[in-house]
Amino acid sequence: MDFNVLSILVWLPVAGAAVVVGLPRRRPELVVPVAFALSALTLGLAGFLVFQFDTADAGFQFVEKTAIWSDLGIDYHLGVDGISLFLVALTAFLFPIGIVASVNVADRRKEFMATLLLLEGALIGVFLALDLIVFFVFFEVLLVPMYFLIGLWGGERRLEAALKFFLYTALGSAFLLVGIIFLSAQANDQFGSPSFNYLELLDLDISRSAQYWLFGAFGIAFAIKVPLFPFHTWLPDAHTEAPTAGSVVLAGVLLKMGTYGFLRFNLNLFPEATVQLAGFLAALAVIGIIYGAAVAIVQPDLKRLVAYSSVSHLGFVVLGIFALTSQGISGGVIQMVNHGLTTGALFLLVGMIYERRHTRDIADYGGIQKVMPWFAGFFLFTAFASIGLPGLNGFVGEFLILLGSYSRHPALAVIAAFGVLLAAVYLLWAYERIFTGEPDKEENKALSDIGLREVGILVPIVALIVLLGVYPKPVLDRIEPAVERVLDRIEDQTGFDSPLRIGDIAVEHGEEASP
Amino acid sequence: MTEISYLAIGPVAALTLGVVVILLVEVSLKPRTGLLGLIAGASLLAGFAISVAQWVEASDDPVIRFRGMLALDPFAAFGAVVLTVLGAVALLVAWPLIVEQGRRAAEFIALVLLALSGMILMAASAHFIMLFLALEVASISLYVLAGFNRGSAASNEASVKYFLLGSFASAVFLYGVALSYAATGTLSINGTAEFLSDNLVLEPAALLAGIGLLIVGLGFKVSAAPFHMWAPDVYQGAASGVSGFMTAGAKVAGFAALARIAVTSYAPYISDWAPAVAVIAALSVLVGTLLAIAQSDIKRMLAYSSVAHAGFILTGLVAGIDGVPYIWFYVVTYAFQVLGAFAVVAVVSGPAGTRSPLTDYAGLARRAPVLAGSLALLMFSMAGIPLTAGFLSKLYVFREAVDAGYLWLVVLGAVTSVAGLFFYLRVIVLMYMKPQSEATASGGGETLVTDPIRVALTGVAVVTLAFGIVPGPLLDVVTNALPL
Repeated sequence: MDFNVLSILVWLPVAGAAVVVGLPRRRPELVVPVAFALSALTLGLAGFLVFQFDTADAGFQFVEKTAIWSDLGIDYHLGVDGISLFLVALTAFLFPIGIVASVNVADRRKEFMATLLLLEGALIGVFLALDLIVFFVFFEVLLVPMYFLIGLWGGERRLEAALKFFLYTALGSAFLLVGIIFLSAQANDQFGSPSFNYLELLDLDISRSAQYWLFGAFGIAFAIKVPLFPFHTWLPDAHTEAPTAGSVVLAGVLLKMGTYGFLRFNLNLFPEATVQLAGFLAALAVIGIIYGAAVAIVQPDLKRLVAYSSVSHLGFVVLGIFALTSQGISGGVIQMVNHGLTTGALFLLVGMIYERRHTRDIADYGGIQKVMPWFAGFFLFTAFASIGLPGLNGFVGEFLILLGSYSRHPALAVIAAFGVLLAAVYLLWAYERIFTGEPDKEENKALSDIGLREVGILVPIVALIVLLGVYPKPVLDRIEPAVERVLDRIEDQTGFDSPLRIGDIAVEHGEEASP
Repeated sequence: MTEISYLAIGPVAALTLGVVVILLVEVSLKPRTGLLGLIAGASLLAGFAISVAQWVEASDDPVIRFRGMLALDPFAAFGAVVLTVLGAVALLVAWPLIVEQGRRAAEFIALVLLALSGMILMAASAHFIMLFLALEVASISLYVLAGFNRGSAASNEASVKYFLLGSFASAVFLYGVALSYAATGTLSINGTAEFLSDNLVLEPAALLAGIGLLIVGLGFKVSAAPFHMWAPDVYQGAASGVSGFMTAGAKVAGFAALARIAVTSYAPYISDWAPAVAVIAALSVLVGTLLAIAQSDIKRMLAYSSVAHAGFILTGLVAGIDGVPYIWFYVVTYAFQVLGAFAVVAVVSGPAGTRSPLTDYAGLARRAPVLAGSLALLMFSMAGIPLTAGFLSKLYVFREAVDAGYLWLVVLGAVTSVAGLFFYLRVIVLMYMKPQSEATASGGGETLVTDPIRVALTGVAVVTLAFGIVPGPLLDVVTNALPL
């Protein structure tokens, strides 16, 4: 590579934040275009990355490495593989949308946009970091902009929600930090020099009992982020109180740091503990699927409903990952992207209607379809994608996950399948209460349908939802080699035999099932 | 051994000379306060230059001078460098307070310089009696500074409390010295190490008791729990302009002294004292954090948070000599942070003020963005958020403690630092997310940031960010700042 595309991806938004802050006070109209242009540029780079990505290479690509502090073994070390590629792309995709969706933020708009850009840089950094300290730094630092995003621009109970979010996630990262330091101390014992380099730490010989503890230390941090039942209690508040762009980013990308962390670190670094504990985590995931969906059904608040649906959907991702099969993990990765798109779109839709009616209570609506037909159409479409209607993206991910987990945990897969059913219940029932019938409340009769800007926000998401649903092959082609590598590693290290490796079964819509 | 080394006492000589000149000029000329400040600045600059020269000299050839009294080693030189810079920043922070003192300004400046010279000696002492004298010079100056605001009952209370408990701690320290002497027959810090490594102490009870009492005495000076009771009252009662200096200076000098005797004199007994230090560290971290949560006054909150930080620094000490560089890293960056935080307090609640309720900080971001921004950065750093020096400090001491086998202490420290977020974030929430309260709105207008404060805060912010992102240069220095 002639230029350090990964570094630019991380630091362009960060520099962009400084640019936005530096814009002259007298020209407030410049803020949104500049912020949008910068995030669009980042998206362009991410697109470049996706197309330049070598599908034949299962390892890390575009690697950059510079020693920051060699005595301690801390390197500035970035790289991308099939697992992180689409999370980076998803991040870069959602931020321009979030920025356009927030043009109506009136209070301290400049700071708002700068905060969003900072968050974007840090998030991309999390997915690209190959040094555990660099990973931890991004992981922890992005709490600060997210905290301000909720605390400054959130809903009525924003302070409480922001604090809860910060403390919960920081508690998790405390254990993560201890785990990282312990790993580096192990490296010091075994290699003679401390190291935080992920690729070097893979060679560590960690005793089984230590693996359990480390799995726990890393796992708690990630389980809180996901959030995995029973660590999910921060999520509904944070999602509900965050401003629209904040909810989109929180649900769309932030939660994936947890599932990504499990996949990247727990599975690779602690394979023995992973094999032993996979059933337990899959069970927690299934509890989350059913519990999240059940609680979503009874929510009177539309935004909370969507928030709880995230608990359920992320449960699917975790279930897929801990199925420890090719289909399960690939499905998990693709489902992370799907959930980012569909839930992001749902939060955008909730934000649009909230801007008009200033209420999130489902009971305050009714018969909106008549006055906002376009809006209703987009909502229904997104709801179908979220439910997993065949032909839309949600189906691909959930199908792969259920297929992959059935071969390992048939009972859990069967129960999880009911989660899909419940998703139909909460989303379609909400649709019915909000949109169908006659508009019986005066306030609702005067609502204006979504305008060109709002349609413009939704169309790219809708396009991707369809594209991923009909033709997921390019995405799966890039994900699968990396997933195979994870499974190879687990099988090598533990003698565990993953059933139904890719090739045993054709899942790519019947096309070229590799032997 | 016998020869006199002007280099070894250079920084202290420069500062005491400055004190003498300031007091003489004051009585003879009755000058403007600005001139006194210039003299103080000149003596600090001279002290700084000499300590840099010490560093250069001692890096190659560390020696002990004045019949085994003073060490001229990188450890002492680095301590002097840090303390002179700290002193300069502290004077900048205290400047509005000094100007307010009128004719008593000279006394105030003289006391700060005297305290500094005591602190520099604490880092440089190679002999227990010398260390005790240095400790007393520093402590007595601080007792007076705490009560400098004679009209205020809180200030007087702070001073008396500090004096009584401080003298008690000094006595405990002295008793520890006596017991150590009884066991080893020497008062030399390095001599003790030689004796202990050459001889097997068959009945080490007196020695261990001595070490314990030394740790307790110095633990009091650095406000480690459970010897921290005085800290909140004293820091609150002292004028805001000087509380920062009292906290920062006492921490740097106290930890320098503690680190030196622990890793040189009693290095052979590390398996005996390290567990005790670990328990004190754990208690400090817990007590400091939990009590800080309950505070409604920012000075008390900072005081309890300094107890917690003392615990984190002690976490590095359990690793013995390996931890010393990181103790330095932590204590130096923390000293500047706490100085900066108190500088903000001094502006918001007035330089001579003793109370500073947290509610004063509501809406500060709109009234004084510079102050709010600096304080927010310092809070994030003290909380240990990455890209600040506070994060790296914690990372380094934790790593050393894990290497030394104190995983439980690190787990406790990491989890407690999360609880600490609660009160650091509360300040930020108040400044940025709460509207200004009625009471402060009417009394507002005094949040005027003067130039000295601005310079001091800029310096502190640069230190906090620069060493949080590029720790290399400072780490290079501290890894060499080891005692002889």
